[in-house]
Amino acid sequence: MKKRFLSSVLALVMVIVLLAGCGGSKTTSWTVTCPWAPSGVAAMVSQKAASLSTEYSDSIILVADAIKGDAATVNTWVADTKAGDPELVFAGEGLFAITSILDPAKLQFTYDDFVFVENLYSSVFVMSADASLGIKSIDDLKAYLETVEEVSVATNGATGSEAFLAASLLGAMGYGNKLKLTPYSSAAEAAQAVVRGETNLAVSHQSQILESYQQNGVTIVCAFDESDITEGVFAGIEGVGKYGYPYFRNRCFVLARSGTEAKVVEELKALYDDILSDEEMKTWLVDTMMLEVDTMTEADVQAHIQNVQNIVNEYYDLVVQ
Amino acid sequence: MLEFIGPALEHLFTLENFLWMNLGIFIGSVFAAIPGLTVILCVILFLPFTYKMTAIPGMMFLLGIYCAGGYGGSVSAILINTPGTPHAATTMMDGHPLSKRGRTKAALRIALYASAFGGVFSALMLLFLGPQVAQVAARLGTAEYFMVCLFGLTIIAGVSGKSMIKGIISACIGLLISCIGADPLTSYDRFTFGISRLYLGLDLAICLIGLFALVEILSKAEKKPGPLVLDTEKMNDKGEITKEEYKRMLRPTLISSLLGVMVGIIPGTGASEASWLAYDRARAMSRHKEEFGKGSVEGIAAAEAANNAVTGATLIPLLTMGIPGDGTVAIMLSALMINGLNPGLSLFTTQGDIMYAIMIGLVFVNLFMLLQGQFLTKLFAKVVSIPQEILTPIIVIFCFAGAYSVNKNYFDVGVALLFAIAAWFLRKLDMPPVPILLGMVLGNMTETNFRRALLLSNGNPAVFVSSIYCIIFLALTVFAIAALVRSKMKEAKTDKRGEE
Repeated sequence: MKKRFLSSVLALVMVIVLLAGCGGSKTTSWTVTCPWAPSGVAAMVSQKAASLSTEYSDSIILVADAIKGDAATVNTWVADTKAGDPELVFAGEGLFAITSILDPAKLQFTYDDFVFVENLYSSVFVMSADASLGIKSIDDLKAYLETVEEVSVATNGATGSEAFLAASLLGAMGYGNKLKLTPYSSAAEAAQAVVRGETNLAVSHQSQILESYQQNGVTIVCAFDESDITEGVFAGIEGVGKYGYPYFRNRCFVLARSGTEAKVVEELKALYDDILSDEEMKTWLVDTMMLEVDTMTEADVQAHIQNVQNIVNEYYDLVVQ
Repeated sequence: MLEFIGPALEHLFTLENFLWMNLGIFIGSVFAAIPGLTVILCVILFLPFTYKMTAIPGMMFLLGIYCAGGYGGSVSAILINTPGTPHAATTMMDGHPLSKRGRTKAALRIALYASAFGGVFSALMLLFLGPQVAQVAARLGTAEYFMVCLFGLTIIAGVSGKSMIKGIISACIGLLISCIGADPLTSYDRFTFGISRLYLGLDLAICLIGLFALVEILSKAEKKPGPLVLDTEKMNDKGEITKEEYKRMLRPTLISSLLGVMVGIIPGTGASEASWLAYDRARAMSRHKEEFGKGSVEGIAAAEAANNAVTGATLIPLLTMGIPGDGTVAIMLSALMINGLNPGLSLFTTQGDIMYAIMIGLVFVNLFMLLQGQFLTKLFAKVVSIPQEILTPIIVIFCFAGAYSVNKNYFDVGVALLFAIAAWFLRKLDMPPVPILLGMVLGNMTETNFRRALLLSNGNPAVFVSSIYCIIFLALTVFAIAALVRSKMKEAKTDKRGEE
């Protein structure tokens, strides 16, 4: 009796499952692969965007996924997908402008393998200094560099965006020979290094140094942007661009496989634009993540990559020794 | 602080919070008990659920997974000699031998009690001393980190088995494996042979599956199968722990909880380092050294108390400075940030009620883990009575699924298999696998901090004695080596007398 009852329940469940699959739903799930740490900024923003996707579209559901691996993950993604597959991937200037020059053999793809959908956000890097040095502006930094033989700068990784920004600033100021880049395993570690005075300076995202700044553990020297920061805790911090020094922001492109129908790409872009203009999303990006909504066009992306490539080529020798 | 306690308790004591907390504990226990399915993977999988929740229930759910995962890893380590999570490899050293002696339930209960104690201890540390402890930890720099790692490497001697030389060779293999991937200071590739999946190095969880789980299966395959029978003797195991054993557990549990907290607050370290360090200290301080590796209750208690004491400690730098203590906590950070909470000391004044609710909640997570564990232990203990012919294929499937799930890549399955074959050969040569694991755990951190310290000091080795913390750890290392040499000389003398 017991066996019969269990068999009937099992059969019923199977029928329900099979019938559920016959609904003919027109919704497509798009998996969005983030090739960086699941705890990182991009993965978090992707998750948040995915959670809002059903509010703005009846036909597209975004499913966020994070597989740490950087170039390796994107290589696998490119190898495993074809035009029209409901798959998206993130990439930024790190892959297209830094790795492509430093270690092109690592990339089994080019920009032509993708079609641009949207840029998720942009983040302005800042340079912080050991609080005991009292460096609060570019002029202070210049004065300090005049007096020392060497300046150590903590960065996340040896050849990442932060390292090239530090090299480009000191190089452009004429103090490239004094630069000692000190790589750390994470942005948080790099930020802490300058707080305890292990290094003189550090380059990081604003959110990563915020707490140390609020606790007076560091001073902020400058922002790697065209003009001064105008809003938030870091308002008034000078942008290096106004002195004519090179800079770039960190960006996160959402890409589909090349050959994907233009109509589909437009639909995806429209969905991302809707999500990014959501008031809750905007507030969260700005207030909590200290990021900016920064929708872009294909031309903007090309210009951004070109700018970073120019910086990498010019200051290559200061970073790669 | 006191002004926040009242509102914090009001926030915390809701049915929703306790339901999510218990669901997290259940999921974490079961998930971590399966080899290859790590706590970090579990947190990643269930993180999206928390995005629709407010901060407190979301964190209670994730903390439930995190803490129970610390204990759950020990289940498979004890039952089938395969650590469910990397840090449970330490528990395996004595947990499985005790289980083989027909005391599976007792081993599981010792692990549970020690885990719960370690967890509550660290949660209380977080609650009462969080900001102060974080400030001390923040003073530890690159040179201090290296000295901690150096001290950690002395553990190798203790897990080398009969031959120290073989232990050291195994450790060197582990250190060599940890070099695979991008050089941490220059980003140049090392030993990657152009294989893109090796650029980031080998994942510890994947290697562990090969080193401990699959190799066990290979060894079983060599033996002639017996008749298919249920081990009724093991099913009747009452799981009693004697008064004497409780007494013996007390000291290592206390000391290991403290060590777990000390290691946990140092960002970049984790439960593996803590449990090995605690295990080594427990053995050094025990009056029953000869029982270690053969089912010592002190060994199990020390390992488990330490690895769960890490859970509260890793939250100290996270909640007070916004620095995640380990990878899992880094992911949990997003559950806070998604709710607009940027952790740091300033949050203690602006959203103190929420912060204290989370910290008090952690105490309850550990208490509920103890309650749930009592029930689950009975279920888990039944696994050992399943005939090997049925259990083995299930383990193999879980191992391969676990290896694949880490990066969703078949390459990792191949890596696990390769490690299993290598470990099988090493087993034939009587080479211990645990020092390989230790080498892999400590290798990258040791090398990175050593080279970075020299870079910062322009090559001056005096940097390694430049602070009081460095000197303390150097003294501990020298003391550990001296004690080791002394015990080896004693052993040699005893052997000589025996021969005469």
